[in-house]
Amino acid sequence: MSNDSHGLARAREIYKDRTRRAKELKLSGRKVVGYMCIYPPLEMMTALDLVPYRVLGDMREAITEADRGLPVAFCPFVRSCLDLGMKGEYDFLDGMVATHSCDAIEKTAHVWERAVSHPYFHFIEIPTKVNARAEEVFKGELESFRKTLEVFAGQELTSEKLKKAVEIHNEQRALVRELYGLRKPDPPAISGSETLVVLKTLMSVPVDEGNELLREVLSEVKGRRNPLKKDSPRLLVWGSIVDDASLIELIENAGSNVVVDDTCVGTRAFWKDVKATDDPLDGLAHHYLADIKCSRTFFEAEGSDRGEAVKDYALDLESRFGYLKDMAEGWKVNGVILQSVKYCDTHGFDVPDVRNYVTSLGLPSTYLEHDYTEGSLAPLKTRVQGFLEMLG
Amino acid sequence: MSVKEEKKHTINRLKTMYPLRAHVDESYRKSLEATKEGRPTVWSMLAWWEGDVILKAMDIEVVYPENYATVCATQGIAQSFLDRADADGFPTHLCGYSRNTFGYASRMMKEMNGEIPPEAPMGGMPKPVLLVASNVVCDARYKWFQALGSYMDTPVWVLEMPTPGVKEYFMEGANDRYVKFISRELTEFIAYLERLFDKKMDWDKLDETVRLTEEIGRVWHNINELRKARPCPMHSRDFWSSMVPGLFLMGDLKETLKLYQDLYDEVKERVDNGISSIVGEEKYRLMFSELPPWHTLGIFDKLAERGWNFVMESWTYHPPIPLDLDGVSNPIERLARFCFQYNIGFYAGAYEDGETYGYQAYPHLVYARDWRVDGAFLHPLVTCRSASTHLPYARDMLMRKLSVPSLMIEGDIVDLRLFDPVDTMNKAEPFEETMNHYRQVRKERGFDW
Repeated sequence: MSNDSHGLARAREIYKDRTRRAKELKLSGRKVVGYMCIYPPLEMMTALDLVPYRVLGDMREAITEADRGLPVAFCPFVRSCLDLGMKGEYDFLDGMVATHSCDAIEKTAHVWERAVSHPYFHFIEIPTKVNARAEEVFKGELESFRKTLEVFAGQELTSEKLKKAVEIHNEQRALVRELYGLRKPDPPAISGSETLVVLKTLMSVPVDEGNELLREVLSEVKGRRNPLKKDSPRLLVWGSIVDDASLIELIENAGSNVVVDDTCVGTRAFWKDVKATDDPLDGLAHHYLADIKCSRTFFEAEGSDRGEAVKDYALDLESRFGYLKDMAEGWKVNGVILQSVKYCDTHGFDVPDVRNYVTSLGLPSTYLEHDYTEGSLAPLKTRVQGFLEMLG
Repeated sequence: MSVKEEKKHTINRLKTMYPLRAHVDESYRKSLEATKEGRPTVWSMLAWWEGDVILKAMDIEVVYPENYATVCATQGIAQSFLDRADADGFPTHLCGYSRNTFGYASRMMKEMNGEIPPEAPMGGMPKPVLLVASNVVCDARYKWFQALGSYMDTPVWVLEMPTPGVKEYFMEGANDRYVKFISRELTEFIAYLERLFDKKMDWDKLDETVRLTEEIGRVWHNINELRKARPCPMHSRDFWSSMVPGLFLMGDLKETLKLYQDLYDEVKERVDNGISSIVGEEKYRLMFSELPPWHTLGIFDKLAERGWNFVMESWTYHPPIPLDLDGVSNPIERLARFCFQYNIGFYAGAYEDGETYGYQAYPHLVYARDWRVDGAFLHPLVTCRSASTHLPYARDMLMRKLSVPSLMIEGDIVDLRLFDPVDTMNKAEPFEETMNHYRQVRKERGFDW
């Protein structure tokens, strides 16, 4: 990389100026491909020596251009992404990969393709349910993606290359899980906001550089004098995207430790490995459809799709949110913050169900909503303080 | 200004529309009787025929919570249900129809022991044995039924309908892959219904139902084709009044088909005789996008008085462009192709025109160009993002490609106060000046209207 800083300091530098490294790579001849959500299989891009770069918003930047492409009453994060795109912030991207992960992303993809011009654009359709039929059609989508990507990259995407890319991305997943493991003790060795800075950085650099950075961070965090406070409430943060550390900082500065999360610049992209399969597209199709626990997917209890006559609500919740129990137990969580940007339908519909599930685990929760602006966070401080007081 | 007080006869309503409306009322009455008699009922999302045809072929009673929310809104009962949904922790920005359903389900299951609440308008919706969700157009329409699990032990089936990208759809093998997927999903759906209702599918009846649905769609499409005539023979108000039987497959389908054929004949007769759907001169031809303000439909009479004729509506509630299915004998595959055609029927045109938003947005271009529209009245709905997201794209495309201006007036599907008819009428005259200006611009660009 272009400077001498290491570990967390390096992560913070990239976090503050995250396009810099991508632009350097572009100048060196690499092709940089944007993606707005965690559903495009990054392994396929890495395998062709492309640099996947996550398109994110900026809650400090006023939206002035996106109104030409999207209505106001719409996911403010996605509006912010499009706004930045229309202002030219993502002009350095050589391509863009979009998915039907949710309505907001899917519909914006069609607007983006028209309003923000890149040499390459590909849209991947994703089924709503999880079953063998859905995995098969999704694999077909990945086959189509492979074809356009090969033309764009000017080389064949062989199974061997793809298997190697799966390995290196799985290595990153393992390193991220190791980092989260450092948050299990009391006090955690690294804060939630620091972790978010690192993870956002991973989404801004090639996977091998990210892995190198993660190893540095792990080494640094393991060796540093723990700066965090013991005996503070240990929180799990669930919900829609959090791509700015300020919300987590607000929660932590109110007197808590955010020890684990279920968000998409958090655990969701890293919690499970892609399985090694003879045809690597099988493993990728399964992983990106079934393993990522985003509210956009209609998960249901095993057997439901084959014809239940009565829905068992407790079983339904367990099948959809059972991983939260593992997180709560593993990280000794004693409170849950449910949060979402306004107008996020998929997470919004899940709020009562997640609340009911964590309540069944004996965990108190509160719901925070904001409009993805810096100004909208301040009023949440009182809510967080009240919640922490309740936790004692 | 009160739109109702000043209402005059300004729109020539179609006589054949009234039997269609009566057909809906009668079908609804029969359905209500059946459910009161204890016949198992399914709650379904509007699925653009995908599930409806199958449920119809199996004689399963269906009610539509989306429609029912409209009823609750127009009868002033929705607010109490919305309040209950808020109290149960659902964010207030969610789809108004869904929040109405949550409140209704909350009242029914928590306080009425599963019985229909007495204040429920039009007989209410009985507790369902199955929830049939759909992923067409928006996420809300499967997440909403999933979230009903906190109130009732009713299972959910989600109907899958892919929404590919425009150029990706034309990649080798893509269409066949999607059709196969939809067909397999529908096959599983039928097997599930057979188990749940302990009833076998009558495959001949399914075949007949699919073919009748296709035929209704074809006649309906041909009616729209007639509306290209100048003056336009059928106003949007008549479309909204007559769309329900075709969209929801209400009542006996042979009768429905006959009623649409009657409608076609009347519209054809008007075209042959140069009869307009508005009383005065057709000064401006407009298209309307998304659901209209149901409670303030009188505003269209006021606009007709100014010479505004609404000649076409947005894609969402129209039938698919007819497809040649002669070589397809399997009724499931026929149904899959018919329903998928709804989603991708405009993609070839979009691809050719270099447009990327091939379903909701792009059809605006076709309608404006082929129906010779002077302006588009776009009606974004605050709590229905799926019906609003594409409107800025459509507005931009109409101007960019055709120099057709748009008037965007906000409204909602449940909060009826959001649509302001006075403000709308105040904008009418300036918009006429805009339409006049762009007529000139279009001429300069070589367009013929």
